[in-house]
Amino acid sequence: MKSSVMSRFTSFLFVLPYLAAFCIFLLFPILYGAYISLHNFELLSTEHKFVGLANYIEIFTPGTYLSDIFFRGLWVTVQFVIYSVPLLIVVGLSLAMLVNALPGKVRGLFRTLYFLPYALSASVMAVIWLMMFDTNAGFLNSMLLRLGLNGIPWLTDTPWAWVSLIFTTLWWTIGFNMIIFINALNEVPEDYYEAASIDGANSWHKFTKITLPSIRPVMLFIMITSTIASFNIYAQPYLLTRGGPGDTTKVLLINVLDQAFIRKEIGSASAMAIVMALLIILISIAQFKLTNGRKGDA
Amino acid sequence: MVRMRKLWLVVLAAAVAVIFLLPLVWMISTSFKNDFEALSGQMNFFPLKPTVANFVQGLNGELMNVPITRWIINSLSVGIAGTAIVLIIDSMAAYAIARLHDLPLRRVMLSLFIASLMIPGVLTFLPMYMEFNALGLINTYPALILPATAGAFGVFLLYQFFSSFPKEIEEAARIDGANKWQIYARILLPSAVSIMVTLGIFTFMGIYNDFVWPLYATTSPEMRTITAGIAMMATGSYTQSYGKLMAMTTIATLPVVIVFIIGQRSFVKAITQTAVK
Repeated sequence: MKSSVMSRFTSFLFVLPYLAAFCIFLLFPILYGAYISLHNFELLSTEHKFVGLANYIEIFTPGTYLSDIFFRGLWVTVQFVIYSVPLLIVVGLSLAMLVNALPGKVRGLFRTLYFLPYALSASVMAVIWLMMFDTNAGFLNSMLLRLGLNGIPWLTDTPWAWVSLIFTTLWWTIGFNMIIFINALNEVPEDYYEAASIDGANSWHKFTKITLPSIRPVMLFIMITSTIASFNIYAQPYLLTRGGPGDTTKVLLINVLDQAFIRKEIGSASAMAIVMALLIILISIAQFKLTNGRKGDA
Repeated sequence: MVRMRKLWLVVLAAAVAVIFLLPLVWMISTSFKNDFEALSGQMNFFPLKPTVANFVQGLNGELMNVPITRWIINSLSVGIAGTAIVLIIDSMAAYAIARLHDLPLRRVMLSLFIASLMIPGVLTFLPMYMEFNALGLINTYPALILPATAGAFGVFLLYQFFSSFPKEIEEAARIDGANKWQIYARILLPSAVSIMVTLGIFTFMGIYNDFVWPLYATTSPEMRTITAGIAMMATGSYTQSYGKLMAMTTIATLPVVIVFIIGQRSFVKAITQTAVK
């Protein structure tokens, strides 16, 4: 059936509003960001000198200021990814298995309770934990004191600052991974376990030989999404540790935004943002390829 | 034996639940304390001198001299407006891409939208700020609402749903003389109510909870959203006024927790549906 120009135009009208939003608030900013990154773009001045790839070259020239804040921030972010992702997977799966093992009547209740912090805003979450971690009056140190122990400088000393950041991240977001794991566990066919029981397999064998292989695709999905989320870490160190003590938890995104809004150098900040975004995209593609590659082998 | 084991599991689950709930319970408890008691380091879950002063002052705009009521209204309006726009434009686009095969560049647009799901926010954050700045829209409602309308998640979610909608019903309507708008509004939209609710909850919570963009996109106190406002208070000079801060976070949390608990089931469904794909 051939359709008239009029009909095709009507069809196009349906996409038009979203397409406009997409172009104005996604596509254009990407191109504009690339343009800005090629200029000496200062937030408060109106003259923006074209500098070519100078901002990028500076990022990759050891010893320069840009290179320093970029790679130091990146290393902090990478540390956060390394510490948090394994826990986000293991704790998420453990909670899912715990919830699934509960009697049906209370299963929904506990699932909701563990998932509840996920509904909070990052800023609300951070303020609650600022109070919990407060060195003098905080809940945790008050409790330690009562037990006759010394208080812990939760946010102002390493390694505690890291412990606090990782712990709050888990507390805040783990429900999301748990929900996905619960769903994956429920889709493992019950007869696999029954057959294994008949063969005399114990729980550990069932877990390693049946559960883990069956949920592997979901596991890899969670690995990818958790890695990306952890790479974008900002709120927790910005609000809880302020990047401290010293610069030990000053993640890359803090440095990018400081460069833009405190030093007012949007040009070089955009170059940093673009390199960071490319890194994230590369990592997600690599992990995605890895997943599909492995699936092909099996 | 089995019953004993189940009982222990429930005890374990309850212990874990304490970890998740304790900070929230403590938040609510502290919000009814004066700052002096909140800083005393005592572990009383029931305030010695319970007071609603933090809430009363907060809603009067007297608390720390910031307009909390205005912030909440900002957050709710921005969240609702953004969600409404997303639901309308995403469902229209998804309908066209899924069902209108004479749509020019249909496949190109679909691939483009799906590919855009991979783009991290850091790539668009600064240029978006510069764009709104150039348009003179920093510190306005459009700056708080519009950026959220560009995400392709909703288009993708609804596209999947509309694609699997049975062809026969649509054909029958067309034979009866229904045009594209009528088919969209009277047949496809009503069939998509539950998934639209899900998308709406997701979108609302996303806009309401975001604090980084509103923090930079607003410059005057009365334009802040509640989450950006809280972030400012927490990094400003009120860091240790825990009684007041907790009243604020309690107020901020209420709307979103209500939405979350009401929409929990569809929320969970949407997460698992998109995850498995």
